[in-house]
Amino acid sequence: MAKLRRKLRKRIKPRKREPKLVEIYERRLIEALKEFRIPLLMLHTAISVGTIGYMLLSGGDFINSFYMTIITIGTIGYGEIVSGSDTLYGRVFTSFLALMGIGVFTTSVTVIVRVFFKEDIIKLYRAIRMLREIEELEGHYIICGYDKTSAWLANLLKKRKIEFVVIDSREEAMKFLQEHNIKYFIIEEPHRRSVLQSAGIRRARGMIVNLGDDAKNIAVIVTARLVRPSKEEFYIYSFASTDGTADKLEELGANRALVPSKLLATRLASYIFHTGSAFISDLFDRIAFGEETDIDILELKVEPGSPLVGKKLKDIDLRRALKVTVIAIRKPDGYLDVTITGETTVEEGDTLIIFGQPKNLRKAQKILLEEAYSVLERER
Amino acid sequence: MRYKKIVTDFFILMALTTNISFITGPNSYELVITVAANLAATILKVGEGRVLSTEMLASSLVADLHLIPALFLYHMGDPQEAMGLAQGALAANVISVIISIIETIISAFTEEEE
Repeated sequence: MAKLRRKLRKRIKPRKREPKLVEIYERRLIEALKEFRIPLLMLHTAISVGTIGYMLLSGGDFINSFYMTIITIGTIGYGEIVSGSDTLYGRVFTSFLALMGIGVFTTSVTVIVRVFFKEDIIKLYRAIRMLREIEELEGHYIICGYDKTSAWLANLLKKRKIEFVVIDSREEAMKFLQEHNIKYFIIEEPHRRSVLQSAGIRRARGMIVNLGDDAKNIAVIVTARLVRPSKEEFYIYSFASTDGTADKLEELGANRALVPSKLLATRLASYIFHTGSAFISDLFDRIAFGEETDIDILELKVEPGSPLVGKKLKDIDLRRALKVTVIAIRKPDGYLDVTITGETTVEEGDTLIIFGQPKNLRKAQKILLEEAYSVLERER
Repeated sequence: MRYKKIVTDFFILMALTTNISFITGPNSYELVITVAANLAATILKVGEGRVLSTEMLASSLVADLHLIPALFLYHMGDPQEAMGLAQGALAANVISVIISIIETIISAFTEEEE
């Protein structure tokens, strides 16, 4: 017996961990539903007493007794339908039932409607459903803070069919999120670990921290890095107000921290410096920023065991085989070789910079990676 | 003493006992009281956030969905069919009581732990 008690205790003992956001919401929903109990019980008691009372008066006519109760407490009052209700006892009973029942009916309906709207049960239910859907996401991005920049970003990600979850603590952000048809969003403080975990940080590919305040950005970046420490596996991009803050954010865990005003100035300067050739001067920018939808650029690392190792570019002939062009090769030491020819040999650790249409690039990446994988499998 | 639990357990047991008494001695009033007890038990289970609350609420709803049609069928001249439905509700009520006992044991252990 003692053994069984120990076993049961072990099983039942609650694990001490921070509750998930979905669990908190579910608890709030349960609490809200609990408020329905008293009005429903009051209504149930009134209907039961009325029905049984009329049944006793009429000698067991349930259907008419139930109907008579409903029309009495519902203030419809079509008349004395049940036999026995037109007697002295019947009228006394109806009077008391009406006195009790009408009050109970109106109070119950009012309380039910008030609870329904006050606790925002529908909103809570939708949030729970959304969190359940977020649990299914993988390889998505998390956007912390929803302002105009985030809205533009969300729009671009949507165009590329990249899934993302927006986290914002401001209730008023919800209006914009709904207006902009954002599929997944969480209205909570983004620096809380449970909130980030509910946004699927463990399965996400990266995060954009744009809270408009350096201190808030730092809090989120540090929390995120505690959950996902690897900078190679989980990318964090953030905004900073100054160059100094940007450096600090990068030291604290951001892969890249941008100073918006500086970024804008640099881009404007590039137009001024290349006034006559504006199209070419920002071509790479536009490709990188996804504004040039017909062309894209891809970096493909030549992994050990790849079939490309030791081959000349003219032998691979990606231009004819896959309709993409190798425009440069980045060496493992960071040197960018832009003077490549057909005679250039691909070496292990090189990164091929490939230029072409997005669909061809995706195809090339898939084929080249699959080939590398099959070569490695054969060698094993 | 937890009065809320007394009330809830009272209605859960009441639902079972009245259900049995209707099956053993079919009677119009008995069936109405059975339905009333079952509905009260269901309402009391709404919003319970305990370990097996969802199972309890589900079993109670099953009993209700058997007994309410049984009530109307009984008074519309098909007592045989009503009896069949009441027997189905009895199974659900027995399960409800068993779950309630398990829940009590579990909560006793967790309270001891805390």
